[in-house]
Amino acid sequence: MAVRAVGDYDFPSRSRQELYGDDQLVHLWWRNNMWFCAAACFRAPKAMTWGDFRAGMVDPLFSCDPDFGPRTRFEWSVDDQPVTRADSQTLAELGVGHKSLIACRSLG
Amino acid sequence: MTATPRKLSMKQRYAALTRDLDWDLSYVDPAEAFPYTTFEGITVHDWSQWEDPFRLTIDAYTKYQAEKDKRLYAVLDSFAQSQGHLQLADPRYLNAMKLFLQGVTPLEYAAHRNFAFLARFLNGPGPRFAALCQCEDEIRHAQTEIHTLSNYNKYYGGMHNWHAQHDRVWYLSVPKSYFDDALSAGPFEFLIAIGFSFEYLLTNLLFVPFMSGASFNGDLPTMTFGFSAQSDESRHMTLGLEAIKFLLEQDAGNVPIIQDWIDKWFWRGYRVTSLVAQMLDYMLPRKVMSWKEAFELYFEQQMLGGLFPDLSYYGIKPPRHVSQAMAEKDVLSHQVYWTLYQFSFAAAFTTTIPDEEHLDWLSAQYPDTFDRYYRPLWDKARRVVDSGGRFFYQGLPQLCQVCQIPMLFSEPGDPAMLCQRHSVYRGERYDFCSDGCQWIFDREPEKYVQAWLPVHQIYQGDCGGPTVPDVLAWYGLAEGDSGEYEGSVEQADWKRWHASPAERS
Repeated sequence: MAVRAVGDYDFPSRSRQELYGDDQLVHLWWRNNMWFCAAACFRAPKAMTWGDFRAGMVDPLFSCDPDFGPRTRFEWSVDDQPVTRADSQTLAELGVGHKSLIACRSLG
Repeated sequence: MTATPRKLSMKQRYAALTRDLDWDLSYVDPAEAFPYTTFEGITVHDWSQWEDPFRLTIDAYTKYQAEKDKRLYAVLDSFAQSQGHLQLADPRYLNAMKLFLQGVTPLEYAAHRNFAFLARFLNGPGPRFAALCQCEDEIRHAQTEIHTLSNYNKYYGGMHNWHAQHDRVWYLSVPKSYFDDALSAGPFEFLIAIGFSFEYLLTNLLFVPFMSGASFNGDLPTMTFGFSAQSDESRHMTLGLEAIKFLLEQDAGNVPIIQDWIDKWFWRGYRVTSLVAQMLDYMLPRKVMSWKEAFELYFEQQMLGGLFPDLSYYGIKPPRHVSQAMAEKDVLSHQVYWTLYQFSFAAAFTTTIPDEEHLDWLSAQYPDTFDRYYRPLWDKARRVVDSGGRFFYQGLPQLCQVCQIPMLFSEPGDPAMLCQRHSVYRGERYDFCSDGCQWIFDREPEKYVQAWLPVHQIYQGDCGGPTVPDVLAWYGLAEGDSGEYEGSVEQADWKRWHASPAERS
């Protein structure tokens, strides 16, 4: 159903990708860890490599959990599709789009 | 010999001073004078069927309100002169009042604007006059709340910039966007959204906890304000009920439209009450009741048990998604305060780890969930503090496109798993915290794609700059407003004010 309005009602999204230039919003969710109250939202370049995303965004956030360390192992998914990460691949190559959900589950 | 002046009965006075002042339009098309009461699909056959249960006239109204104001301001004066703020149970209590001033007072102001609109644009003189009185109430509440809490602003942080913060700060976009959603709807949807769902269905869950919290924690001014507003609020409840019954009785075609609005506005309002849930369970140093008890009493018993059986006569069912709200009562407050705890570096209040006695109270109130899911988190947060740290979330959270709350809510039936929903509209993805918010988006996506989501706006550079200090400066947060309570400016002040002469020297 559509909005009932007194006149024409058509407005653009206030979060559309073009407002972020060559970047996009991405969400990061550690599924099986209640320490973080919610998934995070980052602004990341589409051309950012997975390795840079891990080092520059994932690790600083996850380090707020005292039980996280370099030996923590994860399995990853992008929008519910499993990914085998390759540090040199870009987010775009891994299928990450605007507001995609990058999720992980820690193992062991 | 002079004639005895005729004295009118109350009923005659009401008629003379309200409905008799109305006239039939003869040289302007009524559709032109009242252009907003047809586009929503609501049919009203006879506006004169509106019953005003109070038969209030403007002279009686102003007389009552002036008397109430006099009493309130007398209390405020004596409180200020006697340093009454030192009688609070604990300064942490004021976190609840900061939230009230930042989050609720601006809604009173917004409500007055839209009731002024209704007082002009509803076709019938009865509902127009009722809207006029409620408009006056709402502006009076906004003013008296500001004056009441200004007594604390002299001594405590977090209250000096509430008005700008309401338009800017991430957690205040929750009540603001809720009310903006209602203000930008048509007049009948507004009546169901605010007049009925907010002022009737959820009002006891919203206001009673704040006012009881004031009473239990030594806040005499807010308690007095509560009494001063109480008779207005009960009038608003009656009017909200009158509005829905009037619309349901006017035309059978109105029923499915109103059911849809109840479904939407119950969930919108319920999500706003999450802030009340954490306030009751975590912010009040002296407890009134748990959120779970408040929800069971004020919503399940009074509304589902009392109101909805009456409304079923008209074919109205309990709100869609109500069972999910009921299922959340064991987890809601814990999830919300855990979020505020890790984001209070960007809030105009402080948070802290509940002490042992408080944790035990929570365990007792929530035997099915607290020890299993939430106490371990607080124990871990305590270990971080004991090793010299303080856990703050190093980043920004994913927000729900509809309620604008960080997506902190769990899957129904599984407190350990966050709920993630999304819809795609015109090729863009939108995220939601719950089935309720997703359902609201899917029925009017054109509306919610415009949401001013604080996190997205920060990333677009619209909130003062790219760094956290830039954003906090744009929020108008000053030293002592935010973060951890232990070691805060407020805690230090309180200790100093209560120190014995020996301790001071």
